Amino acid sequence: MKRSLKQISLVLLLAALSACTVAPKKDLALERVRDDLNSLKSTPELAGYAPLALGEAERALRMAEQATGNEYYRSHLVYMADHRIQIARAMAEREQNEQALDVLEDQHSGMLIKASQLDAAQARQEAETARLLVATTVEDAQRAQREKEEALAKQAESSRAAELATEEAQQARRLADSRASEAEFARREAELASEQISSLERQLENLQLRQTESGVVVTLGDVLFASGQTSLVEGALSSLEEVVDLLQTEPDKKIRVEGHTDSSGEAEENVELSKLRAEAVRQALIDLGVAEERITSAGMGEDFPIASNEDEAGRARNRRVDVILLDN
Amino acid sequence: MKSILVAVVLLALTACTTIRPGPDAFVSAETGIAAAEKAGGDEFAPVEMRFAREKLESAHKGMDKQKYEVALYLVEQSEINSELAIEKSRAAKSRRRVNEQRKSNDELEIRLRDTFGDEFE
Repeated sequence: MKRSLKQISLVLLLAALSACTVAPKKDLALERVRDDLNSLKSTPELAGYAPLALGEAERALRMAEQATGNEYYRSHLVYMADHRIQIARAMAEREQNEQALDVLEDQHSGMLIKASQLDAAQARQEAETARLLVATTVEDAQRAQREKEEALAKQAESSRAAELATEEAQQARRLADSRASEAEFARREAELASEQISSLERQLENLQLRQTESGVVVTLGDVLFASGQTSLVEGALSSLEEVVDLLQTEPDKKIRVEGHTDSSGEAEENVELSKLRAEAVRQALIDLGVAEERITSAGMGEDFPIASNEDEAGRARNRRVDVILLDN
Repeated sequence: MKSILVAVVLLALTACTTIRPGPDAFVSAETGIAAAEKAGGDEFAPVEMRFAREKLESAHKGMDKQKYEVALYLVEQSEINSELAIEKSRAAKSRRRVNEQRKSNDELEIRLRDTFGDEFE
């Protein structure tokens, strides 16, 4: 009994020893698996993707580590743990891939969305470009039209300027014409004035000159003398100058100055008055340049009236001095 | 002291003389392989598929040699290889989809850049 116990003890010791000598070999395999699991756990892109599988691997590995019994069983547990780790790795990789796939699919649809947006934007832009093109074409047409109108306007303007110039020239001409016509007018007025003068002269002649049997008679009105006076009034000489001019046109003819009165007053006195007045006129004519030997004077009194003595107008006409240019 | 001996003996007995597993012991391993095949394991995880099948085959052999315990370990190892094959296949498929999507995105981006020029960012 004692012996057998000793024997058994020896066997157990041997077994323990063999276990000890075998253990380092198994520990190497276990260590490798443990390292593998640890590396899987510390890989951030895999750890956390397959927590359940990792847990199973961890459990399997711990079983292997804690395993007692024969070598075959232990190595079996190590084999199982190793495969659990590989399974966990594969599952983590798959999970990782699934998530990467999700991202890629999102990116894909994102690109398609973007593309459709760009497509729409491009379509809009094309539409806009087309619209702009149309607008530009319209604008071009409008500009061409405008330019044409401007050219026409310019042409019109230049022709208007030409017209204006012509008009100005015409105006200048008209002005010149009008000036000329003013001058003409002035001249005509002057002429008219001189005509008037000569016509007055003629009038004087016409009115005051009478052709009689004895010759041309110039009748001087009662303007020469004041009533009852026999000397000429002031300014009478100037009116006599015209008579002198007339008389000098016929220098060869004799001149007779006759004094006449109206019928008022005494006849004798009237003869005397008319005689003095005729002599005064004769003297004035001589003073004005008429040759003395050509002139004679006579007082005719009231006996040769040329108008009625019944009214003042007639009597005024009768009070006169006749200067007769004798025909011989 | 006697009890220790009994315990050691019992342990040795259980280790060596495990009761033969029932016929459905392999079922889970077989369905595992079938599922892994269906998941595309032959394409994406051929090594694991091979191990899964070999381990199952070894398990059958171990069963035949009455190494039941080893056979059960091998069944488990076959199963976990099938499981790993399934996960590797799924990971590979997801990786493939990611690559396809990335390629598609790149192509789309190039096409859109051609179409829209610098506006496309």
